[in-house]
Amino acid sequence: MNERSQLLKGILEGCILAIISRETVYGYELAVKLQQQGIDVKEGSIYPLLLRLQKEKLIHGEMRASDSGPNRKYYTLTSAGEASLEAFRQNWNSLKSPVDQLLDRGGS
Amino acid sequence: MNTLVDENNEKREQLNVENKKVYEDMLVYVRLSFDKSEAETEEVLMELLDHLLILQEEGRDSRELFGSDPKQYAREIVGELPQALPKKVRALFMMGICYFLGFYLFTSGLIQTILAYGFHHLEQTKTYSLGTTIVGLIMGVAALAILAYSVFRYIQWSCFRHTSKIKEYILSGLMFAVFPGVIVLAMYLWLPSFGPTVVLPVYWMGIVGVVFLIMAKLLGRKI
Repeated sequence: MNERSQLLKGILEGCILAIISRETVYGYELAVKLQQQGIDVKEGSIYPLLLRLQKEKLIHGEMRASDSGPNRKYYTLTSAGEASLEAFRQNWNSLKSPVDQLLDRGGS
Repeated sequence: MNTLVDENNEKREQLNVENKKVYEDMLVYVRLSFDKSEAETEEVLMELLDHLLILQEEGRDSRELFGSDPKQYAREIVGELPQALPKKVRALFMMGICYFLGFYLFTSGLIQTILAYGFHHLEQTKTYSLGTTIVGLIMGVAALAILAYSVFRYIQWSCFRHTSKIKEYILSGLMFAVFPGVIVLAMYLWLPSFGPTVVLPVYWMGIVGVVFLIMAKLLGRKI
């Protein structure tokens, strides 16, 4: 994953925001949910992205005790994060079908 | 913050030999990036450790977490950590300077005093050129700072390389001891005398040295 493009990183960031907007998750949980969605990335690649999203104040991480005992860092979306997710959604929707069409035509 | 470090120390024991090696290299590499926020650093290290422990339980390889190039991954993590010079690092830096000046001044003062009063090899007073003394001390501190920085970088560089750690630490230690000595000696030989001069008894240096050592001790207590 790491040597692949900025584009993929941007999309992955959008997906992380989307998952966190639905529920509060910790790192491992997030990796599992991405995989359940069929987004197959190296599990570790989420941590640098989580750090970056925190730096940009799009998400907020907090260490607290989990139900099963040990401390875990749980992530929630900030209001800036919601705005960023909305922008991502719009960009994605406006690009999705034209790109699909273009690629389909190219393939036929 | 220390609770996270302690928790990390305990949890790390659950790793198997192979995972422990990779993880500890990661830990050293990331922690040695000392200009990063300490809280964020320890938190991400804990997240990675938790994740690795789960992989280990599931019988999966650490490569699924760190990729095929763990050093590159560590670099990526460090690159995203927020910049901050923690108070602790600043205090450590000041303490290092005080210890360096303290030991240097105290030992040279002591040796000169013994030679002068005990064996009458030296005069009991010495003429100090203030300009030379100050420039010399600043250069010494700068040399020490550069050296400490390069030792940090050197250890970082040596992470994820499978050579004997002990040999490398001894090597860095030697560098640490020899290099400042050479600088100080070079300054004695080549730095010209300039600035106003004062004549002081030779034990003066020892006394100033003790003052620096006390300051270093006090700084150390705060950390």
